[in-house]
Amino acid sequence: MSQPRIAAFARSADGSLQPKRVIAGQGSRLGRTVHGLAYDPVHDEIVVPNPLAAAILVFRGDASGDAAPVRVIQGPRTRLQNPHSVNLDLVHDEILVGDLRADSALVFPREAHGDVAPVRALCGPRTRLDHVTGLAVDPATDLLAIAAAKEVLIFKRTDDGDVPPRASIEGPHTGIGHEPWQLQIQGGRIFLAASNHLHQWAYQGGDHPLPDFKEVPPDPWHDPTPGFVGVWNVTDEGDRPPLFTIGGPESGLFHPTGVAFAVDKGELFVSDSVTNAVSIFRVPQLFAAPGKRP
Amino acid sequence: MTIRSLGFFLIVSASGVALTPWQGPKLAGPAPVRRIADPFPTFNGIALDPAADLVFFSDTNLKSVVAYPHSGAPGASSAAGKPLRAIRGRDTDIGFVAGIAVDPAAREVFAVNNDIEDTMVVFSYDDHGNVRPRRRLAVPHQAWGVALEPKRGELAVSVQGFNSIMVYGRKADALEPPLRSIRGPETQLADPHGVQWDGVNGELVVANHGNFRGFARNIGAGCVPVTPRESDDAEREHSGPGFRPPSLNFYSADAKGNAKPRRLVEGPRTRLDWPMGIAVDGARGEVFVANNGDSSVLVFRHGADGDAAPARILRGPRTQIDRPMAVAIDAERDELWVANFGNHSAVVFPRNAEGDAAPKRVVRNAPEGSPTVGFGNPQALAYDTKRDELLVPN
Repeated sequence: MSQPRIAAFARSADGSLQPKRVIAGQGSRLGRTVHGLAYDPVHDEIVVPNPLAAAILVFRGDASGDAAPVRVIQGPRTRLQNPHSVNLDLVHDEILVGDLRADSALVFPREAHGDVAPVRALCGPRTRLDHVTGLAVDPATDLLAIAAAKEVLIFKRTDDGDVPPRASIEGPHTGIGHEPWQLQIQGGRIFLAASNHLHQWAYQGGDHPLPDFKEVPPDPWHDPTPGFVGVWNVTDEGDRPPLFTIGGPESGLFHPTGVAFAVDKGELFVSDSVTNAVSIFRVPQLFAAPGKRP
Repeated sequence: MTIRSLGFFLIVSASGVALTPWQGPKLAGPAPVRRIADPFPTFNGIALDPAADLVFFSDTNLKSVVAYPHSGAPGASSAAGKPLRAIRGRDTDIGFVAGIAVDPAAREVFAVNNDIEDTMVVFSYDDHGNVRPRRRLAVPHQAWGVALEPKRGELAVSVQGFNSIMVYGRKADALEPPLRSIRGPETQLADPHGVQWDGVNGELVVANHGNFRGFARNIGAGCVPVTPRESDDAEREHSGPGFRPPSLNFYSADAKGNAKPRRLVEGPRTRLDWPMGIAVDGARGEVFVANNGDSSVLVFRHGADGDAAPARILRGPRTQIDRPMAVAIDAERDELWVANFGNHSAVVFPRNAEGDAAPKRVVRNAPEGSPTVGFGNPQALAYDTKRDELLVPN
């Protein structure tokens, strides 16, 4: 958005308050509307995409102000076109990147820097990748979950090239509508910000609106289908309802897009673009031993 | 009995929201234990109509357009000023709004939605509350700035992701296409933000952040490198992704297509640092820049080119300039207006102010000292386990 930045708030923050620190400024090389963000607790680093520069930036964990990234992945060999989401697989020391416009999932060594090729690239029509906005690996099952246009696609972690997903979570009972967003995996469970908003692009890169449109597309945030945060087992497949949901009027969520958690605190963090707010839920049940469906 | 008190909250069979025809899970609770949000507007764009005694701001936090009296008593106000009018609500189609402009002759205000509404909405000066816009024009995704040239009857809209300027007719509506666009490698546009006409000198001025995705075509659904033609080093230089220096690009007002800028202000002496909104004082031959990155306002003389130092810099704690998003010039009252993103205020200076000067007036949209959360479409989150911090990007 207008003010590119990464802001850090105390986990216990509540109400209206200044961030404790902010990464912002020309030297940071940040750009607008960051759709993905990951923190590396082992190496104390922050990983973030800059889709407008087709780049992945890595900052020190304590970065503040106009701090420069310590590493940048960018260049024609990277295959990055419009990277919107990132995550980390610290077991295999890799950065995962979802490219929204290239419809691809790229994997780089965690310490990649410069114009480097990905070590793996999921892409092509058999992958069913479309509008990739969230992805995460479960090292225990060696599975990779990717939030695509209207579903979660499950691949083997090491899949490469134009390969079909081994499973998908999709269908009316899942509740996943258009544009599921940030996705995390914890304890064998997928946590998905099922935003349920449809962004229709009247301009698809050209200088004129597409002739298919007979009227201006509606505001995506007015989508009548409510969004929610849904939790599935990473081994779920098909038209399975979520194990848990967080949503509805009491939650204050409309179309949630961001999701993260503090497992040891039993807390789940959710951002919502409609309210321009971050909500914190205390839900230790979600982090209990996975497996059985209630 | 609430769902929460049961200790779990999945797929309840009763008292959920009405779902038909949605077949997804019924949703009920839980309520958050904490919530981070800012209850006050956050100024973004600014547009003046001194004759009507009005100043309009776009507000990206509460998604509104607010109008205040343009005139005011000298001295810093400590109270939050109540806007004369606030256009806000679902029917307005105002979203994560950025640039704003006014048409004094038609008494209309234009506001560009940056993310992800992809529209420019037009209201009457007199509109208030949850009203439908007079016009709703589809614009490309990531439109940011808007400027009206009344003599030409044209609106210029900057588009970040397209690296382009789209020029529409003043009354463009719905799916009307632009009259022309400025776009292509020769334009040196890279993540354009502020855009402004210079009616005196027949120019269009654009502030660039420098983020550049490249012009390479997607020819392989992400399966192939995005390199442009391997044999063409010049094209590679122009087309490949990179971080370019921030710049001010000056085009002919008639520019279209892959037009080269007449001049390019760029380099370390310029002190450009995330240049956002710009204002042009054509009569005095000056260009004002809301220099967001270092919380300053830079003033360049008309004709500046290359690695030119600003003629004046307004910066320092007494200025109360904090992450400025937009600037505007009131030639009649000889004033400079600055809209702050960082501290719930707009500050007004003499037009020639420089250094660490205190403002003549302050327009507040929140009680003095109110914290500014500063969210702008937070679409992702991360948790920093080492510092027990929540990381929130815009």
